[in-house]
Amino acid sequence: MTDLPLLNVAGLSRRRAGRAAVTDLSFSLNRGEVLGLLGVNGAGKSTTLSMLAGALRPEAGSITLDGRDFVTHPGIARSLVGWLPEAAPLWPELSVEEHLLAFARLRGFSRTAARKSADAMIVRLQLGDLRRRLAGVLSQGQRQRLGVACALVHDPALIILDEPANALDPVQTGELRKLVRERAAAGAAVILSTHVLGEVVAVCDRVAILHEGRLRHDAPLHDKAGGKTLEATFFAIATGAGP
Amino acid sequence: MSLGAVTRLELRRLAVRPLAWAIAALTIAWLAWSFVLGLGQFLGDQVKLAGMADAPGFTDLVAIPLLAELAKLAFLVVPLMTMSLLAGERRTGTLALLASTGLAPWRIVLGKYLAVLLWLSLWLLATLAMPLVVGAESTADWGKLAAATLGTALLLATLAAIGVACSAATSFPAISAAMALIVTLVLWTVDRGAQAAGISGGFLEWLTMATHLQNLLRGLVVSSDLIWFVLAIALSLILATRRLGGDRERQ
Repeated sequence: MTDLPLLNVAGLSRRRAGRAAVTDLSFSLNRGEVLGLLGVNGAGKSTTLSMLAGALRPEAGSITLDGRDFVTHPGIARSLVGWLPEAAPLWPELSVEEHLLAFARLRGFSRTAARKSADAMIVRLQLGDLRRRLAGVLSQGQRQRLGVACALVHDPALIILDEPANALDPVQTGELRKLVRERAAAGAAVILSTHVLGEVVAVCDRVAILHEGRLRHDAPLHDKAGGKTLEATFFAIATGAGP
Repeated sequence: MSLGAVTRLELRRLAVRPLAWAIAALTIAWLAWSFVLGLGQFLGDQVKLAGMADAPGFTDLVAIPLLAELAKLAFLVVPLMTMSLLAGERRTGTLALLASTGLAPWRIVLGKYLAVLLWLSLWLLATLAMPLVVGAESTADWGKLAAATLGTALLLATLAAIGVACSAATSFPAISAAMALIVTLVLWTVDRGAQAAGISGGFLEWLTMATHLQNLLRGLVVSSDLIWFVLAIALSLILATRRLGGDRERQ
């Protein structure tokens, strides 16, 4: 483990659909840290996460992951990044187990290692009863759990979760929070994008608030800037009354 | 390793989708019927053929027409098999997920292409089994049959590559299939205008897919024909890879 942050983002910008989706975004993230990314719809959260996952190329700025330039070498995502996109896209014709095996193999695991890792995720995400069920017939909550399992199956150093608690019941949400904290304790850096402030309070160490593509707030969770609570800070920014 | 993982994933998806099985069952049934009809005709004409000098044999009258029938079906079958490869995945969001595993676009394209190629090879083998079984008990022209099989295999590989390129170009599987069909038909008949004007030879004739397949179906293996197929496959896969690589810029 080094003192350098695992992830360093500097001056990241990207336009989408003819408008600036993310502008001059800079932040860094250490191993073991959980960053909550907040913002209203259209704030640029998903665009940011897509760039950090390697699915979208920034138009400007740099992303350094584990000391390497991620923009010019997106291949390093293979072992280092695990991404759960919004709405957990899956192959409807594959079973839960096949998804996990496929993702582990795509990440370069041997057959035996893939099997071991898939089994571990099935146990950890309580997907045992669904092991052979096709993704196409899973409920939204079950799909979400499978999406999380696919993002974590290769034990990535950087975990990117876009609205991971979507459609999860309170018990499953609690389990997900525990899992995120477990991974962070094991040294992974986690970025968790959500609309739910309670989610951030429950699981994150730090919170970043995006508004109209710009980073408007980045501070430890319990750092009450100007004595404001997170909720007050968020609403001030979201309504345009904030910093 | 990851190339194999993409191929295995795609094969698994093909294996569980009803479309692949339905196409295989219907086309093989149709080809078997064509084969039985061709064989019946061939047997019925034995007396007439016996009286001819240099009479065409089983290979010319039964086996090669069967492969030509498969080639005709392939115009429709291959676009259907390739339409969802990338277009469907782009539409459902799984393509971005696949790209986020750090796989280079060429690995995704080639992995999927190999999976379809394997399916098409089995399709060709199932069809070829019919004349092979009968040919083993008669006097088949094995050299000519090998050349015709090579030609059909190259045609399937080319159509699959065109299908992959068209699937990479859109998010709509139906549009991908239509594009692949049109591109194939254009390549098949690109010299029709020149022929109608009484012009033969030249670049347009070389560009036409039919020219190269017909030579091979006649048992004529010419390097320029093989090069045409290899170039068409390479160009299509390069275009697909470039388009997929561009997804990171375009989305």
